[in-house]
Amino acid sequence: MSEPTRPTIPAARAPSLVSGGEPHHASVTPVGGVAEVHEQQPLVGQDLRTEELVFNMGPQHPATHGVLRVVIKSDGEFVQGLQPHIGNLHRCCEKIGESVPYYQWIPYVDRMDYLAAMCNEHIACMAVEKAAGIEVPERAEYCRVIVAEVQRILSHLFAMGVYGLDLGAFTPFLHQFREREKGLDLLDHISGGRLLYHYVRIGGVKRDFTQEWLDELEAFLAAVEQRLPEYNTLLLSNHIFQQRTAGVGVIDRSACVRWGVTGPALRAAGVDFDVRRDAPYGVYDRFEFAVPHGHSGIAGVVGDCFQRHWVRTQEVEQSLRIVRQALKQMPQGPVMGKVPKSLKPVAGEVYVRGENPRGELAVYMVTQGEDKAWRARCRGPSFSNIAVITETAKGTLLADLVAAIGSLDIVLGEVDR
Amino acid sequence: MSTTPSPAGTPAPAALVDPVTERAHALLAARLPGVVVAQELAGRHPWIRVTAAGLRDALRLLRDDPTTQLECCHLISGVDWPARKPGETAELEVVYHLVSYALPYDAAYKARRGPQAKNDPWVAIKVRVPREAPEVPSVMDLFTGADWHERETYDLLGVRFTGRGFVPRILLPEDWPGYPLRKDWETPTDYHGIPIVPPEGL
Amino acid sequence: MQQWLDQLAGSGLLAGLPRGLVYTMGAVGACTLVLLFASLLAGEVVWLERRVAGRMQARIGPNRVGPQGLLQFLADGLKLLGKEDVIPAEADRPTFLAAPVIVFMGAFAAFAVVPFGYGLVPADMNVGLFLILALTSIEVPGVIMAGWASNSKWAILGSMREVAQMVSYEMPLGISALVVAILAGTLNLSDIVAQQEGWAWNWYVLRGPFGFVAFFIFFTAALASLKRAPFDLPEAESELVAGFHTEYTGFRFAVFFLAEYSAMILFSMVTAVLFLGGWSPGFPVDLTGPAGRWIGFAVLFAKTAFLLFTMIWVRWSLPRYRVDKVMYLCYKVLLPFSVACVVGAALQVLVGDAVGGAFGRWLMGR
Repeated sequence: MSEPTRPTIPAARAPSLVSGGEPHHASVTPVGGVAEVHEQQPLVGQDLRTEELVFNMGPQHPATHGVLRVVIKSDGEFVQGLQPHIGNLHRCCEKIGESVPYYQWIPYVDRMDYLAAMCNEHIACMAVEKAAGIEVPERAEYCRVIVAEVQRILSHLFAMGVYGLDLGAFTPFLHQFREREKGLDLLDHISGGRLLYHYVRIGGVKRDFTQEWLDELEAFLAAVEQRLPEYNTLLLSNHIFQQRTAGVGVIDRSACVRWGVTGPALRAAGVDFDVRRDAPYGVYDRFEFAVPHGHSGIAGVVGDCFQRHWVRTQEVEQSLRIVRQALKQMPQGPVMGKVPKSLKPVAGEVYVRGENPRGELAVYMVTQGEDKAWRARCRGPSFSNIAVITETAKGTLLADLVAAIGSLDIVLGEVDR
Repeated sequence: MSTTPSPAGTPAPAALVDPVTERAHALLAARLPGVVVAQELAGRHPWIRVTAAGLRDALRLLRDDPTTQLECCHLISGVDWPARKPGETAELEVVYHLVSYALPYDAAYKARRGPQAKNDPWVAIKVRVPREAPEVPSVMDLFTGADWHERETYDLLGVRFTGRGFVPRILLPEDWPGYPLRKDWETPTDYHGIPIVPPEGL
Repeated sequence: MQQWLDQLAGSGLLAGLPRGLVYTMGAVGACTLVLLFASLLAGEVVWLERRVAGRMQARIGPNRVGPQGLLQFLADGLKLLGKEDVIPAEADRPTFLAAPVIVFMGAFAAFAVVPFGYGLVPADMNVGLFLILALTSIEVPGVIMAGWASNSKWAILGSMREVAQMVSYEMPLGISALVVAILAGTLNLSDIVAQQEGWAWNWYVLRGPFGFVAFFIFFTAALASLKRAPFDLPEAESELVAGFHTEYTGFRFAVFFLAEYSAMILFSMVTAVLFLGGWSPGFPVDLTGPAGRWIGFAVLFAKTAFLLFTMIWVRWSLPRYRVDKVMYLCYKVLLPFSVACVVGAALQVLVGDAVGGAFGRWLMGR
C-alpha cells in the first residue's frame, strides 16, 4: 500500500514528512501546510483538514455592480481577506484625452461615470474653460447646475434602489426606477440621449430650456418630492434594513481621509464637507442648501452603511432645493459663450474639483498650446472609494461585504476609466 | 461665474499669491531646507516641486503640521516630459494633489482673483525624475489610498515606486507591453493573437 | 381510500381483477392526481407570484399567455425543456442528476397525507403530521447533494447555508406543530380538522394564546424552511449568485423551482389544516356529504391561497436577513417561545380537563 495523501499517522512520525528524511515520504508530501499542522498540533482532529476557501466574486457576479472582481479568502461565511481586481472596463479615457481635440474629449468623459454623465461633463468642461480662459454665460451656468442636480437625484435614486436589491429587497428598486425613468426622459428631451448626453459643451450648454421642458421638470421634481418619503419607509425605516446596515461596513473619518474616500461616504463619516459649498464652482455659491452628514442622532453608527444610505436620501432633498432656487434665480440671456473654432489654450495646468454623486471628480489637465491636452488626468471618485473595502470588509460576513460594496455605490466605468 | 468677465485666453492676474500654497512653501522652506527645488505660488495652478529624496518628508510634514493639515492625498498623476528639443532632459513628473477638509475656503481671495483663480484648499507637490530611471519613493504608508494611485501611475507611465515591494499593474494585464501614457508609446498590433485595431482618427 | 377501493373492486366494472392489482392501480391513480394537482398548482403559484410582484412593483407582470397570463408557466416550462442540459465537467454526475429528484420527492410525497376535504385524503394515517415533517426534511440531503455535486464554490456555500437553516428551523417548526398535536390529542390531520369544526373560535389559532403564538412561529419557521424571503439566504442572488442550484440549467432547474413552489403550497395547506380549521369555513355546516367535501376543498383552497399570498407579500416587501440574524431568530426567539407554547398548551389541556363543561372542552381543544 502506498502512502495515503491524507495520512492518519501518529504525531511522532510526523516530522519525517517535513524533513523529507525518507525519499518516498518527500515525494508524497501532502498539499498545503498539512505537514506543519501535523508537527504542531495534537493528534485530535488531524483527519479534518480545514483550509480557507478562495473564490472569485465577479466579474459577472450580480452584487459587484458591473465588472468588479473581488478575490475573497473566506472561512465559511467569514471574509478573511479580499483583493479587488479592476481594469476590466478600462477604456483609455486619459489616453484619448491626449489624442483628440478638447471638444471631442467631452463625450468620452460622459462614459466614465455613466450614471452621472451631466456632472462629469460639467466638471470636464470647467477644466477646459479654465485652461483656455473661456467665459460662460450666466444662464448657461444655471442650466448646468439644474441638469447636474437632476442627474444627482437620478443617480441617488439609482444608488438607493440598487442598494435595496443588494440586500434582497427587490421592490424599492423598481419603485425608484419609476421616477428615474421620468428623469431620464427629462434629460433625453433636453439633450437627445438617455444616459450619455453631451449636453454641457465647452463654453456653455447645447440648447436652452423650453417652457414645456420646464413644466416637465416641475412635474418630475414634484413626483420625487412626493415619493421620497415612500422610499424611506420602504428601506430606511425597515427593521431588517436597519439590522443589515447599522454598524456594518464602518468607514470612519480617519479611514476616509487615509484612503481618499469622498462624497456621501465621506459625509456619512461625519465630515461636513461638500465641494459645492466649501469650494464652490459654477454658481453653486448662490444657493442655500444643507450638507447632510452622518451623526449619532440617527440609527447606526457614524460612517456605517446605514448612514451612507441616509446621506443619499437627504442629498436628494437638498438637490431638489437647489434646482428650485436655480429655476427662480435663472436670468435670461444666451446659453453659449464665444468659443474659438480651434481651441488652443496656452501652456499651463489646471486642477478642477467638483462634487459628483459618488464623490469628488477632479480633472488635472496639462496644456501645451496645442488643440489637444498634454495630459488629461481624471480622479474618479469610485476609484478611491472602492479601494477602501480591502480594509473595511476584512473579518466580516460575506453578506456584509455585499452590503459594504453596495453602500459605496461604485460605478466601474469610473474606476477603470 | 460671469460676475467678473475677462476676455478669453487671458491668464489670471499673476500678482496674487495663493495663500495655501504659500503657507505650505514657507513651512517646507523653513523645516526642510534643500527639499524645495522650484515653485510657482501664483497663477491658477500653483505648485511646489521637491526632490525625490525629500518627497516623503515633505508630504509627511504637510500632512501633520497644524498650519497646513493637508491630510488627504487626493490624486497622484504622472506626466511624461520627453526631450522635445535637443538639450532638454527627458523626465517623468509625478504630481501629488493634497487636499484638506479643515482649511477654510477663502471666498474673499477668490473674489479678488476672479473666476480663473484657484480657490480650493489644495496644494500640488511635484517631483521630477529622469525618464530612464524613474524612481520615486512610495508614500503608501503615509496615505493608504496612494496605493492604487501609485499602481496606476506605474501601470500607465512606468514610474517605479520604491519602498513598497512589488508594484503590480492595476488596469492593464500583467503582461502588457510598455506604458501607454508615455508619449513615445505605440499601440501593438496584437495581444496574444487578438488583433488591436485602433479606432479611426486616433 | 381503501374502503373506496374495496367498493370499487366489489362493483361490476373491476370485479374480475385481483384485489392487489386494484389497490396498485388506485395508488398510481391517486399519485398521478396529486402530482398533477401539485405541479399545476405550483405553476399557477409562480404565475400568482409574478403577478402580485408586478402589482407591488408598479408594473404589470405576465399577462400574454392564456387569459391573464395563466398559462405562462406552461410556456416557461416548455422553454426550460428546450434549454441545453449542462452538467459541469467536474461535477459528480450521478449525485448531480439525483439531487433535483430527491428535492422534489420530499416536497411532493408529503401531499399524500394532506386532507383536502372530508375523506379527500390520499392516505389517511394516524401519523400524518409526523410524516409531513419527516418527508419535508428529505429536501436537506437533496440540497447537500446538489451543492456538493456541482463542484462550485457558490453552490457549496449555498447548500451549507440551506442545511444550517433548515436543520435549525425544523425545531421551532416541529415544536410549534406539537402545540396543535397536544391540543388535538392526535397526529392524524383529518382528525385535527374535525376538532376544529364549528365556529371559527374552534380553530387552534384562536383557541387560547398558545395556539395563537404557535401559529406565527409555525408560519415563520415554514417561511425559513421554504427559503422564502426574508430567509432566502441559500439562494441569495446578490450574495451567492443562485446558491445551491447555480450550476443547474434547463429542466433540472425547473424541477428545483417546482419543488420550491410545491413545498410552498404544502406548507400553506398544512398551516391552514393545523391552525386555520382546514376545510371548515368557520361556522357550523356539514361538509361531509359528497358535494360538501368539495365545498370544503374550496374552503381549504381559499385559506391556502391567502397564506400563499402572504408569503409572496412578505417576499416582495422585505430585505434579506443576514445569516447570523437568521440563526439568532431561530435559536433565541422562535425556539424558546415555541417550547413555552408547548408547556402552556399542556397546562391549558390540564386546566380544561379540571374545569370541565363546554368551556373546558374548548380549552382542552377537543
